[in-house]
Amino acid sequence: MTQQLQDRPALSEKVITFPDAIPGFPAARRFLLRDLDEQGTFQLLESLDTEGLSLVVCVPWIFFPDYAPEIDDDLQRELAITSAADAIVFCSVTAEADELYLNLLGPFVVNATTRQGRQVVQGDAAAPVRAPVPLAG
Amino acid sequence: MLVLTRRTGESIHIGDDVVVTVLDVRNDQVRIGIQAPRSVKVHREELLRQVGEDNAAAAASSERAAALLGRLASPPPRSAGRDRPGR
Repeated sequence: MTQQLQDRPALSEKVITFPDAIPGFPAARRFLLRDLDEQGTFQLLESLDTEGLSLVVCVPWIFFPDYAPEIDDDLQRELAITSAADAIVFCSVTAEADELYLNLLGPFVVNATTRQGRQVVQGDAAAPVRAPVPLAG
Repeated sequence: MLVLTRRTGESIHIGDDVVVTVLDVRNDQVRIGIQAPRSVKVHREELLRQVGEDNAAAAASSERAAALLGRLASPPPRSAGRDRPGR
């Protein structure tokens, strides 16, 4: 029996570029992704431009399997994404009072090949900016 | 801030490429139409602001968040060898 773990793209070696930076940090265009755990579930998105700017990120479907971020035609065209396989999507994790939250309102969408992306503010408030992630125990 | 007064159906040109039109006014809600090239991003202000603020909060709490990752409800353990499905 073989059960292959999905190979995650080797992002940690390559710079990811957000040409329009990210909301709140207008100088932060270039980032590295570093795995935080062996399975590659969580990464640290580290800014190469703004000192001290690092965000814990993860693939949102681990905790929210029904999450459906809008990746519209304009975004697909802008990032040259022609299929779901071209796109890497991750959301930032925030800690407050020993709880963890995912930002589902502003997912990061990156073209897996070009490594260019954008943090996409969703069009309406249906996706929470702080979606609680259950902690064990 | 430039302040203009418009009636329903009237428009405003911003730069060469952006046109804002008042489509409808009902009670205290205004329906606004925006024509802009794809390169110009249009956002509801409060949503853009929330994402910016959350990015700052995520950055400020990233060490704490990384430390808490160990306490997440983990995925079910892989089977130890019994009851393997057919290869």
